Amino acid sequence: MIVLLSRRTLASLRKGLGGCGGKTDSGSLPSRLLRTFRLSLSLPPLRTERADLRCQRTMALLEVCGAPRGQRDSWALPALDSDLRSDPGHYSFSMCSPELALPRGMQPTDFFQSLNGNGESNVQIEMAHGTTTLAFKFQHGVIVAVDSRASTGSYIASLRMNKVIEINPYLLGTMSGCAADCQFWERLLAKECRLYYLRNGERISVSAASKLLSNMMCQYRGMGLSMGSMICGWDKKGPGLYYVDENGTRLSGNMFSTGSGNTYAYGVMDSGYQHDLSPEEAYDLGRRAIVHATHRDSYSGGVVNMYHMKEDGWVKVESTDVSDLMHKYQEASQ
Amino acid sequence: MSIMSYNEGDVMAMKRKDYVAIAANRRFGIQTQMVTMDFQKIFPMGCRLYISLARLATDVQTIAQRLKFRLNLCELKEGRQIKLYTLMSMVANLLYEKRFGPYYTEPVIAGLNPKTFKPLICSLDLISCPMVTDDFVVSGTCSEQMYGMCESLWEPNMDPEHLFETISQAMPNAVDCYTVSGMGVMTHVIKKDKITTRTLKPRMD
Repeated sequence: MIVLLSRRTLASLRKGLGGCGGKTDSGSLPSRLLRTFRLSLSLPPLRTERADLRCQRTMALLEVCGAPRGQRDSWALPALDSDLRSDPGHYSFSMCSPELALPRGMQPTDFFQSLNGNGESNVQIEMAHGTTTLAFKFQHGVIVAVDSRASTGSYIASLRMNKVIEINPYLLGTMSGCAADCQFWERLLAKECRLYYLRNGERISVSAASKLLSNMMCQYRGMGLSMGSMICGWDKKGPGLYYVDENGTRLSGNMFSTGSGNTYAYGVMDSGYQHDLSPEEAYDLGRRAIVHATHRDSYSGGVVNMYHMKEDGWVKVESTDVSDLMHKYQEASQ
Repeated sequence: MSIMSYNEGDVMAMKRKDYVAIAANRRFGIQTQMVTMDFQKIFPMGCRLYISLARLATDVQTIAQRLKFRLNLCELKEGRQIKLYTLMSMVANLLYEKRFGPYYTEPVIAGLNPKTFKPLICSLDLISCPMVTDDFVVSGTCSEQMYGMCESLWEPNMDPEHLFETISQAMPNAVDCYTVSGMGVMTHVIKKDKITTRTLKPRMD
């Protein structure tokens, strides 16, 4: 429902809402809004049942327009002065995410600069996307393959980290970059996808899910997050594959690879990719790309975790050690 | 990235009463990219003498070649095989010549004396401080991991096969815990009558 309002109407609407903050007027907030709305349009007041329906539509409209809600003082920087939880409402395609607390006057990027070893500090945290993940579409769906090494600096923290988050049976998200950032924001995305399903009775599309994640990244742009993710799924439009970055980049495509080993993986994938691969050939391509990338790149390794996104959901194809595979390929070529 | 970890390298040597073992990993890489898996880091300097060098690859090769030149000259002048302590002093002198612009490598020397067959292992830092020990020495980018493995696994009374088993468990497990390391280990076990060289099958990531 789109309602075109004149500028005068919008101005009086905003004035009415601005006056709502902090005052104890008579009546509930929606009915106050409705009175303001109707007064601005010079219409007589309605009876209560129709009033509530109109209230809900107004609230949805106002949320899309970006008008401030009742109690919020200033919402320019959501990280400051905030004591709010996300309001339940209709389609929350806005940037409705929990705010992270920040001390007054602090610049978030200073935290990482102090740890970069530029100054006197000896601690060095390298925010590199240390991994290899890839995904490509073909005629039977989407193949997702990731490695499993988690490194802290040069030390291998874990060889068995799962870098694919299973959002729902029809959506997968991969993680590369800072492990903490990826895990937090993709679990938040999973929550939003579930809420969408509960509110609207149907599964979220891949396009919308990737847009939600991209909006979350845009909100925290420039603050030092590090995340490179691919959202893969199957919705009403067929297989979907989107790449989402910490800068808010969101790209749709047929083939992506992220992480420090992505150049090696692209080389192998580009030389073997065709749209009409059989599933076995596609598994072999994904496997080879990850194995060769882990062989050359120091920050990738462990096992290949491979998923196949089909029309009726994803299946986990395999979890194979890259070292055994590499030995097998070398023996086969001799 | 610092110059010492530009091309990484890891070396370890262990000593027993009559024999020594020396091991080095075989990766040659440039920062995070692996280039080759068969880079030589252990160089024979005599009948039962081995020197192994880690860290910057260009200095590894330069020092090995310069040392071999000086060693050949010395043996020609004296007409006999060099002793281990003398070799260690020669390496220390070579490194200290560049005290204010050093070679970025930390050698490890292991071997048996020519006449007495007494074993010796020692390591030197990049500006030539020698350190002689009775159990093991390590050098390289993942030295902390190697110290941990050696402290856990080294025992005083080991026969040659047990020594080989120990070093071939300590070295790969240490380097596999480190991202810019690994890709295979070459080991030499040096006894009075023979030298056994083995290459260990690596993790390929």
